[in-house]
Amino acid sequence: MMNVLKTEWLKIKSYPAFWGVMAMTALSYPGINYIWWNIYLEVVAKQNATGKIAKMLLGNPFAYPETFHTTAYFSSFFVFIPAIVVIMLITNEYTYKTHRQNIIDGWSRNQFLISKFFDVLIITLMVTLLYFFIAIIVGIIASGKSDVSMWSQSRYVVFFALQTFSQLSIAFLIGFLVRKSFIALSIFVFYFIIVENIIVGYSKVKLNDIGKFMPLEISDRLIPVPQFVGRFDEKAYQASLNAVNLHIFLTFLVIALVWGVCYYTNKKRDL
Amino acid sequence: MAVLELSNISKSYGRIQALKNLSFDVPEGSVFGVLGPNGSGKTTLLSIILDVLKADTGNFLWFGQPGSPDMRKQIGSLLETPNFYHYLSAVNNLKITQSISGRGDNGAIDDVLGKVNLLERKKSRFSSYSLGMKQRLAIGAALLGNPKVLVLDEPTNGLDPVGIVEIRELIRGLNKKGFTIIIASHLLDEVEKICTHVAILKKGELITHGSVDDVLVDEDIIEISCTDPLKLKIILFEYPGMTKIETDGKFLYLHFPKGSAMPEDINQFCFNNGINLNHLLHKKKRLEARFFELTGN
Repeated sequence: MMNVLKTEWLKIKSYPAFWGVMAMTALSYPGINYIWWNIYLEVVAKQNATGKIAKMLLGNPFAYPETFHTTAYFSSFFVFIPAIVVIMLITNEYTYKTHRQNIIDGWSRNQFLISKFFDVLIITLMVTLLYFFIAIIVGIIASGKSDVSMWSQSRYVVFFALQTFSQLSIAFLIGFLVRKSFIALSIFVFYFIIVENIIVGYSKVKLNDIGKFMPLEISDRLIPVPQFVGRFDEKAYQASLNAVNLHIFLTFLVIALVWGVCYYTNKKRDL
Repeated sequence: MAVLELSNISKSYGRIQALKNLSFDVPEGSVFGVLGPNGSGKTTLLSIILDVLKADTGNFLWFGQPGSPDMRKQIGSLLETPNFYHYLSAVNNLKITQSISGRGDNGAIDDVLGKVNLLERKKSRFSSYSLGMKQRLAIGAALLGNPKVLVLDEPTNGLDPVGIVEIRELIRGLNKKGFTIIIASHLLDEVEKICTHVAILKKGELITHGSVDDVLVDEDIIEISCTDPLKLKIILFEYPGMTKIETDGKFLYLHFPKGSAMPEDINQFCFNNGINLNHLLHKKKRLEARFFELTGN
């Protein structure tokens, strides 16, 4: 295993595109939270009645312990950026035919797939760490103090990691099956931004919310809308919290299914 | 002992049968040429023995053992094209080869880059290399850690004449040290110069295989000349055991069944008939000619 990790590190550490896209991720995650935080500050800063009502309704979603939930929700909008890296790392292997060379040089087919599993895992950890630091820093600034209850919503760190890993695994599957980077990226981004949102939105209105079983939506629902948004419809918010356990199970199922398909395909197809 | 044993290997791509029941052995210490026209199945065969493709039927053994990742680590291979990470330098690419195969120590990378004349450009990105340099890097990767078996698919592709000679000498040198080298090529001239054994494929079928001498020599050819070729030809019609006589300029070519030509008897026969030969050569058929005969091209 260490050999596989070491080899993947050799591939990644001098890959400018990898660091470029990770830098974009490192800018976009704090960026989206900063924008929403500023919007919040502007709204509550108003000295008129609207400002006071808003402050009463919203509370402070960026303070502890809500910061873990709020920043996870906003950060998860940008999972398609690290997904670009995941797709590039697998499709590069097919473009340069290095997947064949790895096997020729002495890896088994399973070791090759494990190496890519590690890539997805490492990127998930990097992205989760980034989100975690954002949540901590935003929480410290917004709260101005810390207390024992500050970690009470830290479960969202685990949910965020699980959601990211699940969605990056789906991105990997597309790259793994399609093999062409541009086509794989187009399919993922088109599906992520447009197709699934239309299906989920339409199904909420017309199809008894069956869209909750769509591949990305399954893990999206691990992190429901932030608490302050939930105050506008307490019943629906509570239902979304109650459904989290089901979606944890479904997310694990998606992950198992994705990697199961990869394992089976990798075993059967010619390189 | 056979380094590689193939038995009944077949492979199809849909309706097209790329390999049909191939069976032969590669002896240890040989330079084994796999020859055939484009589309004859050479690369498919090498891909199967390197586990890139799966055979539909049949099996192969390396050193008497079924192919495995550990076995492949001991084999230096170049298959079809140089496959490297374009954004990495030669050194970093070879570090990956080294990490996966476990072949060679710290100094081994500089050592092989020196052998293939890439030491000066070792820190340049692979994408900045010319076709010939890429090919040399692939040969360098195959040589990393001095594996006892090399599998090289068209190793001189993209190389200039100097590069071709260098690779030829490298292969000869390695063979003298006891390395086994399996080469697929359509450059018959090159193969003839370095191979000790050949297998000839046509449309996925094995036409013939064996030592170069056995494959090339299907008859004896004696090349002779004298000052009066016309007279020489007339008197030689009476020479016993000859299957055919051909003329090409000032030379006559006498064909005999394999192993039956006696140059000294021919010389004596001519002398007894009043002709002094000024040239006599026991000629081996060129691989190119034999190849065209066997493949029917």
